Amino acid sequence: MQDDTRRGLLLVSPPAIYALLMLAAPMAAVLLFSFWSQDFLTIDRTFTTKNYVEAVSDPLYRALLIRSVAIALAVTVVTVALAYPVAYFVSFHVHPSRKSLWIFLITIPFWTSYLIRVFLWKVILGFNGVLNSSLLGLGVINEPLTFILYNQNAVVITLAHAFAPFAILPIFVALERIDRSLLEASQDLGESRFRTFLRVTLPLSVPGLVAAVLIVFIPTIGDYVTPRLVGGPNGLMIANMIQTQFLKLNNAPLGAALAVVAMASVTVISLLFIWLNRRNLRARR
Amino acid sequence: MKGGGLRLYALIYLLFLYAPIILLPLFAFNSSSIIAFPLQGFTTEWFAELTGVEALHGALKNSLFVAVITAVFSTCLGMFAARAGVMHQFPGKGPIMGLIMLPLVLPEVIVAVSLLVVAINVLGIGLSLWTIIAAHTLICMPFSIAILNSAFQNLDASLEEAAVDLGESRWSSFRLVTLPLVMPGIIASTLIAFTISLDEFIIAFFLTGGEPTLPVYIWSLLRFPQRVPVVMALGTLLVAVSILLLTIAEFYRRRGVRRSGQQDHGGFL
Amino acid sequence: MSGPIISLTGVTKHYGSFQALQPTDLDIQSGEFFSLLGPSGCGKTTLLRTIAGFETPSGGVVRIDGADMAGVPPNRRPTNLVFQSYAIFPHLSVAENVGFGLRRSTQSKAEKAAAVEEALGMVGLEGYGPRPTHAMSGGQRQRVALARALILKPKVLLLDEPLSALDKKLREQMQGELRRLQRQVGITFILVTHDQEEALIMSDRIAVMFEGQIAQLATPEALYRQPDTRQVADFIGVMNFLPAQFVDGSAEIAGLGRVDLPDNEDGSGVVGLRPETLQVLYDGADAPARIAEGDVVEVTYYGDMTYYDVRFDGADKPVTISMKNLAGRAVLERGARARVGWDPRALVVFRD
Repeated sequence: MQDDTRRGLLLVSPPAIYALLMLAAPMAAVLLFSFWSQDFLTIDRTFTTKNYVEAVSDPLYRALLIRSVAIALAVTVVTVALAYPVAYFVSFHVHPSRKSLWIFLITIPFWTSYLIRVFLWKVILGFNGVLNSSLLGLGVINEPLTFILYNQNAVVITLAHAFAPFAILPIFVALERIDRSLLEASQDLGESRFRTFLRVTLPLSVPGLVAAVLIVFIPTIGDYVTPRLVGGPNGLMIANMIQTQFLKLNNAPLGAALAVVAMASVTVISLLFIWLNRRNLRARR
Repeated sequence: MKGGGLRLYALIYLLFLYAPIILLPLFAFNSSSIIAFPLQGFTTEWFAELTGVEALHGALKNSLFVAVITAVFSTCLGMFAARAGVMHQFPGKGPIMGLIMLPLVLPEVIVAVSLLVVAINVLGIGLSLWTIIAAHTLICMPFSIAILNSAFQNLDASLEEAAVDLGESRWSSFRLVTLPLVMPGIIASTLIAFTISLDEFIIAFFLTGGEPTLPVYIWSLLRFPQRVPVVMALGTLLVAVSILLLTIAEFYRRRGVRRSGQQDHGGFL
Repeated sequence: MSGPIISLTGVTKHYGSFQALQPTDLDIQSGEFFSLLGPSGCGKTTLLRTIAGFETPSGGVVRIDGADMAGVPPNRRPTNLVFQSYAIFPHLSVAENVGFGLRRSTQSKAEKAAAVEEALGMVGLEGYGPRPTHAMSGGQRQRVALARALILKPKVLLLDEPLSALDKKLREQMQGELRRLQRQVGITFILVTHDQEEALIMSDRIAVMFEGQIAQLATPEALYRQPDTRQVADFIGVMNFLPAQFVDGSAEIAGLGRVDLPDNEDGSGVVGLRPETLQVLYDGADAPARIAEGDVVEVTYYGDMTYYDVRFDGADKPVTISMKNLAGRAVLERGARARVGWDPRALVVFRD
């Protein structure tokens, strides 16, 4: 074996072994677990698909799963749509020497206590909250808005806030990679600035968009704090049920099955999205 | 002005991003125990109350313990992975690096559930601060690698060879040349991993045994409306510490970029 | 006088199934300025790095000053390398860079400082010691890299395309300085380059490499005048190739006619002629050995020179002719007829 290869494998093995032991093996354990059953504290190790049957057929679980996927999709669309102009602005209209300052400012809120941020959204969106009292005070509305807390809108807003930098950064990186002379070439060939954006900038930023979509969509399904704090009874998501099964109802196998189903759903949707995107790109060529 | 509309939008967006952080200190210093406008009067009572809570001190100690060890582990493992990924070619590189970076996109609840099952049902070792550290190291590692990657990418591979050529051993070349050059990245990675671990709740809640971390403790407080102003005070302190650490991290990251004479492209990721 | 300073015997290198270096034998003498010349991917850098110890040969023996280098790491070899990127340590000052290799020596601080200053003087950077390296120009970085390698007084200095990153003027200046430096220190320099002109200018001997093996090893003049193969002839300078038939000790050359070439077996091949050995004839020129006629199909004016592409009557492809633009000499126009003088002594024969 080559020196370089051997050294590379040697170096990568500690983190790789760690990821295998702490991630791959545990996920395999969850998969295995989901085919067992639990009666209070004793685990029955006979193979059964009953958890999956329950996870898919019980209307409660099914409703939670569908809602979770719907909310995750909504969060993804809202987050990426709101983030794109910001990434575009920083990449194209901010002086190069100030770009890293902007990126730093955008990432700061992300690193501060998630729990407290979500709680403050509850304060902002509440019946007597910041938004309502401000709008009432300004005379914009006559009575407090009620459609913004303890429902799915609140969950979408809060998660769009939480995942903002995750959406902005990949798009920003993709935009930064675009050779600026391409834009001049397009305008030189007679396209307006807007058409140039549609025909050159947007297509070239697609890799960033895809990364942004995946990095927002997939983790969203696993959040139980936001639905619990701002979602109200109709805003709960599948992760809340997974948490309940594991920590309250002591039915870990069912929780594991729900986790597997949730993970499988987002994976399938993500792969579908990637596949559609690739096909679209190929059709263009 | 060019991009005027976009600039306005970007500023409003920043306001949206910062809204919770701006409100936090307002309520922390507000004398009313109800978290709502209008503000009542100025008080430091909630901060004073923080000092007397025994459970809080325990939680803080636990969190610091977890965050420090996580930061060290995650940075060490990240060094291995970043160096291997940037400076070497080996078979299966894509899948291996993919697996290591996977926690970046994985729903946190999946990580939490997996490790919970292993700790309780497979190994039967029960939960402790160490189970949290194991999980936090896993989710911080991709961030460490992302930061250290750029540190190693900025590094000319022939620098270490030059040191070897001039008579140093492999290890002393690493120590004399590579280590000082990636040190800013190491510091940034350590601080970021520390910050992530300190604030992480979703996984910690699953894996906490008898000793809660700070976010888990805060979660328990949020259920009692009369304790919420105290949480605001605590949150203000946490946010202040986070921003301070991040600013230091950013300072070192930029210094690293400058030191290697590269163009700054901004951002941690 | 002892044996060669560098001696390679049957050295090979492969990466998986890719053969980077065919079995290679090579002796390089002490005090020689030696060049490894070839296109990118020809194995010249692999050969250099094998001598330096950064690549372990897959087979064969590398000897430096008579000692087998198998298992000897780069840090224990009496060679030093100037990297293509210069590999200047960005966190160290100029003096710290130059003195890097002295860390392990037993000299006193003052002795080390003096050695650094001497090395800096050698490359014309006196007084630059305390400066940081990031503000330095490409040429200055190059000099720091040279001083850093020479301070250890290696038996062989290895240079991996050291001038490729410099602009044309600076490159020409550094070529002169490198030669002067080599004469001054008197050690062996081995230069890797893809620039044939650079190799011709600087070297005592040149090894031309293609596809992992040495195609020809010769002095610059021999390489230019008597290339062994068409590939070498094509790589070094400009060469006109004309198809030829060899019959009964003479050659029938397309467009040039018959010429006596004794000691040649019958068969087919090509002959080569350098552009400067051909001559467009003006009125009053000295009578050349042979004359051929053709049409001027392209004229390229360089200021000091004019290059003509002339298609000889009866030939398929034009040949290139270089002419000095002497005082009073008119430049021919495209489409003109040209009489061209040539000398059979300049012919290089390549048989199929």
